[in-house]
Amino acid sequence: MKLFQAAALSAALLVSASPAAMAVERGGVMTYGRYADSLFLDPVLNDANVDIWVLSNLYDTLLLPTDDGQGVQPGLATAWKISDDAKTVTLTMRDGIKFSDGTPITTEDVAWSLTRAANPKNGIWNFLVESIDKVTATDAKTVTITLKHPDPAILSALTVFNTAVLPEKAFEASPGDTDEAKAKAFSEHPIGSGPFMLQSWTRGQEMKLVKNPYYWDKGADGQPLPYLDGVTFEVIPDDATRILKLQSGDLDGAEFIPYARVSELKGDPKLNMMLYPSTRVEYVTLNVRPQVAGKDNPLSNEKVRQALNYATNKEAIIQIVTHGVGKPLTSFMSSATPLHTGDKPLYPYDLAKAKALLKEAGFANGFSTSLLVLAGNQDELGIATALQQMWGQVGVKLELSQVDNASRTQQYRDGTFSMRLAAWTDDIADPNEITSYFAYSPTIGALHSGWKNAEVDTLYQASQSEMDRTKRAADYAKIQEIFNATGPTLPLYETPYPVALAKKVNGFLQIPLGNNIFRATWLQK
Amino acid sequence: MSLLPYLLRRLAQLVPTLLFIAVVVFLLVRLLPGDPASAMLGDRARDADVARINHDLGLDKPLVIQFLYFLKAVVTGDLGTSITLKLPVTTLIAQRVPVTLLLTAMSAVIAVVLALPLAFLSALRRGKEADVVIRGVFQVGLSMPVFYLGLVLLTVFGARLGWFPVGGYGTGLADHLYHLFLPALTLALSLSAVLMRNLRAAIIAVVGAEYVDFARAKGLRARTVMLRHVLRNALISTVTLFGLSVGTLLGGAGVTETVFAIPGAGRLMIDSIYGRDYPVVQGMTLALAVLVSVTFLLTDILQASLDPRVKR
Amino acid sequence: MSARARVRPALPATLVLGLVLLGLNLAMALAPGLIAPYDPNAFDYNALGQAPSLAHPFGTDNFGRDVLSRVIHAYTVDMQIAVFATIGPFLAGTLIGALVGYAGGLAETVLGRIVDAVITFPFLVLVIAIVAVLGPGLSNMYIAVGIVDWVFYARLIAAEMKVQQRLDYADAGRAMGYSPARIIFRHLLPNAITPALVYWMTDMALAILLGSSLGYLGLGAQPPTPEWGVQIADGKNFMTTAWWMSVFPGIAIVLTGLGFSLTGDGLAELLRVKK
Repeated sequence: MKLFQAAALSAALLVSASPAAMAVERGGVMTYGRYADSLFLDPVLNDANVDIWVLSNLYDTLLLPTDDGQGVQPGLATAWKISDDAKTVTLTMRDGIKFSDGTPITTEDVAWSLTRAANPKNGIWNFLVESIDKVTATDAKTVTITLKHPDPAILSALTVFNTAVLPEKAFEASPGDTDEAKAKAFSEHPIGSGPFMLQSWTRGQEMKLVKNPYYWDKGADGQPLPYLDGVTFEVIPDDATRILKLQSGDLDGAEFIPYARVSELKGDPKLNMMLYPSTRVEYVTLNVRPQVAGKDNPLSNEKVRQALNYATNKEAIIQIVTHGVGKPLTSFMSSATPLHTGDKPLYPYDLAKAKALLKEAGFANGFSTSLLVLAGNQDELGIATALQQMWGQVGVKLELSQVDNASRTQQYRDGTFSMRLAAWTDDIADPNEITSYFAYSPTIGALHSGWKNAEVDTLYQASQSEMDRTKRAADYAKIQEIFNATGPTLPLYETPYPVALAKKVNGFLQIPLGNNIFRATWLQK
Repeated sequence: MSLLPYLLRRLAQLVPTLLFIAVVVFLLVRLLPGDPASAMLGDRARDADVARINHDLGLDKPLVIQFLYFLKAVVTGDLGTSITLKLPVTTLIAQRVPVTLLLTAMSAVIAVVLALPLAFLSALRRGKEADVVIRGVFQVGLSMPVFYLGLVLLTVFGARLGWFPVGGYGTGLADHLYHLFLPALTLALSLSAVLMRNLRAAIIAVVGAEYVDFARAKGLRARTVMLRHVLRNALISTVTLFGLSVGTLLGGAGVTETVFAIPGAGRLMIDSIYGRDYPVVQGMTLALAVLVSVTFLLTDILQASLDPRVKR
Repeated sequence: MSARARVRPALPATLVLGLVLLGLNLAMALAPGLIAPYDPNAFDYNALGQAPSLAHPFGTDNFGRDVLSRVIHAYTVDMQIAVFATIGPFLAGTLIGALVGYAGGLAETVLGRIVDAVITFPFLVLVIAIVAVLGPGLSNMYIAVGIVDWVFYARLIAAEMKVQQRLDYADAGRAMGYSPARIIFRHLLPNAITPALVYWMTDMALAILLGSSLGYLGLGAQPPTPEWGVQIADGKNFMTTAWWMSVFPGIAIVLTGLGFSLTGDGLAELLRVKK
């Protein structure tokens, strides 16, 4: 019931056009247009948003994120308790829960799944649960997680896709010698406990999900969720084609509407143009090493970085690129990330200040630098073209270089780039993931920028086992203050997820972490 | 001229060509900056993860060893497993290549059906209204990038008029053909413009040639002259051009497939290059190479049968 | 020889029209600054995506740049693309095709295999490899096009040479003891070149189109350089809301292509008359 209330509330907030009191209707298949197909439906070994954002429909987790993406609510577990020393988490499992093949979900399955997720040899997400030391099936209803150190983010971590519960026996019975080989075989015919299960999958074309008859949650009418009989994902990479298909009625929903089309679709009487709050931030990463490619690097100077920040008219970029959909950043992390601080846009446009800072730094006549842009990405190209023009006014000559993603990643990892454009979305309702990548140098050297701040590193380490929320908030406030003032990024904007839905669609949700939630979605006949 | 030995000889010649292509594509994909692991894991990858995955893929072995593995795989008919999609490359080829083949074949047919009669009309009415209109329309067709033309056709004939589906591939052959009509037309327009212009010029050249006058003088009926002499001689270079263009179409349908949401080989190829999915790029290149070579073989035979003077 | 004696007819009308169109193009390409009303790269935040008006006859793009000025300035780049991307392949392909077509036999078999290999190699892999190694930009596009495009000319010419060789006048030339070079370049090639010449003129339009497709993939001309193909690619997202961003560059491509194709047909006609 609690879950339904939350869903209904969000539906009322987001779909303002649909009366909250409307009775739900069951049945029907929702067709949803995606820009790219999923690649690998294994919760632990996947590595892309195309997987992450749909996995929760197939695989259930012990806890679920709340609809605002900030807190946790019961999932497969109904209750949880963190011990006084904060080194043990005890979870109580829900009664009568089953996998989509009808076999019961045991605490052994849970222990095995979490152990697999925390194995540092498995995939790239294990750092989210690196605090897990041991998981024990204490009895048929109780799971005990022993932690290496107190972890303030452990409950949030138990909502993340990689901690999903899989059937140990079925997985281990899959053909193959290694975990990865088994995962490949298993994920072709996955068994989970999410609201839906995989019926068929034609790669690159369509993926059909049908309702899981064993799903534990109940809807507003007291009957089991989901309301839908199924969800069909159609892969339509071209934005314009996706919109055409939605407008012609082939689709009930379409993701990643280009910002340029948002206001046009808002005016379409057959559609609801949704802008779901998100944790997505767009920024420029600056290489701050003293030398790049054997030459002195002006960007190593804090003042130069600040000058470029001031010389960037973010409001204009928001207008040009996001057509007013985005808003300026107030910290490096999105305002939807827990423990975010800041209420004023960072570095308001100020040409005079930019020029003065450049002069102080010894670059009164500017300098030349370059920016890596993802080839064919219209948003990045728009930002880059605008930056080129804006920085020209303070004498900074910006050369754009459009490269494909793998080439860019290579230069990024090698630290041979000068600047690059990038976007980030949180995967966990906690500031630790973004901070680890952006600011904590041991992870990936602060976005491979070469930036290192001893105080930030210490604060971050402390915050990772700080159970006192106030103290942890203070740690994060300080980290953000230091990073925003001297860090290796140039924050641009944060944007919501633009999703267009047919008017008949109700109760669909994309949470700030990006997950597409069809659990309580229903179609009006 | 007997066909069978010729065919066998040509097929035997295919082997060195394919080997050459295999070597080039093998080296070229490895020359590209980036590696499968960092392409796959993206910006968040940590060094240890990248190293682990590249090791698991055998990409830390010397190039020669990697190439020998690849050759062995090709000879045994096993082209490896896609790094990003985790499916056997042979499965992917079986799924995707027929789609692109159907699309290309359809656009080749449309291109010929459009180009052939209109080229005649245009050439024989040279300078008249029909010629001006035909050439103007083809020039517009030739000037529209496929991603733009495709979208225009989708909007008008798909969304507005509802005559054709708005992208997708459908199920069953009849449905496939229905879904592929607009994308095939998109690909066909610029090809048929190329063919039309070539054929038009050739017809004009042939009509003025002595042997046509001679045939006329012999008293042959105008129709016979047209078919036996003009068409045959004019088609020679058109067939050459057709073979080459269809060859490039087979590997170049990716953008069209993207616009029309068709799960074809071209789109997979683009994704795989960007994803540094070496086994897929290698396997698909070889599969497409076989197809293109067969296309060439067919056009060569067609050409030989058109012009008895070209002896083998 | 008799042609020289005959009074040469007036230039074909198609050629005149084609040359006039190309002349206009050339004027735009050489002095865009004199013709364009605005700086093609100047932003105007107060005029983002405006429809055509008196101040901006072709409207403005999403940065508030004047589309007319960008279309005019793009002539410089696009005329370069049309010519530079194709002239190498045309010359090299014609030469190779003429020699191979004359020699026949083994040379022809070898050419056939090379053509197979070049055409079957996925063009996009090649472009991405070249761009990745040498960096993005137009000159690298020329290289990529050059590697593939010459085979079209070589195959066209070789096929046509074979036909011409069987005709009486080639035998006559041989009987008169002319050198192979003279037979190839004075006798056979002028008669065999028409398809290649006509294709070349089409190819120039195709090169601009390829620039556009590469622009769609981000591999073509780099910003802020105005280029029609990239303008169309950029305008695709605005097809429903700001059609002028893509339609006007498209018209420029049509007119330029028309100029080339009329010129090509006219040249073919002229060659025929000479013969």
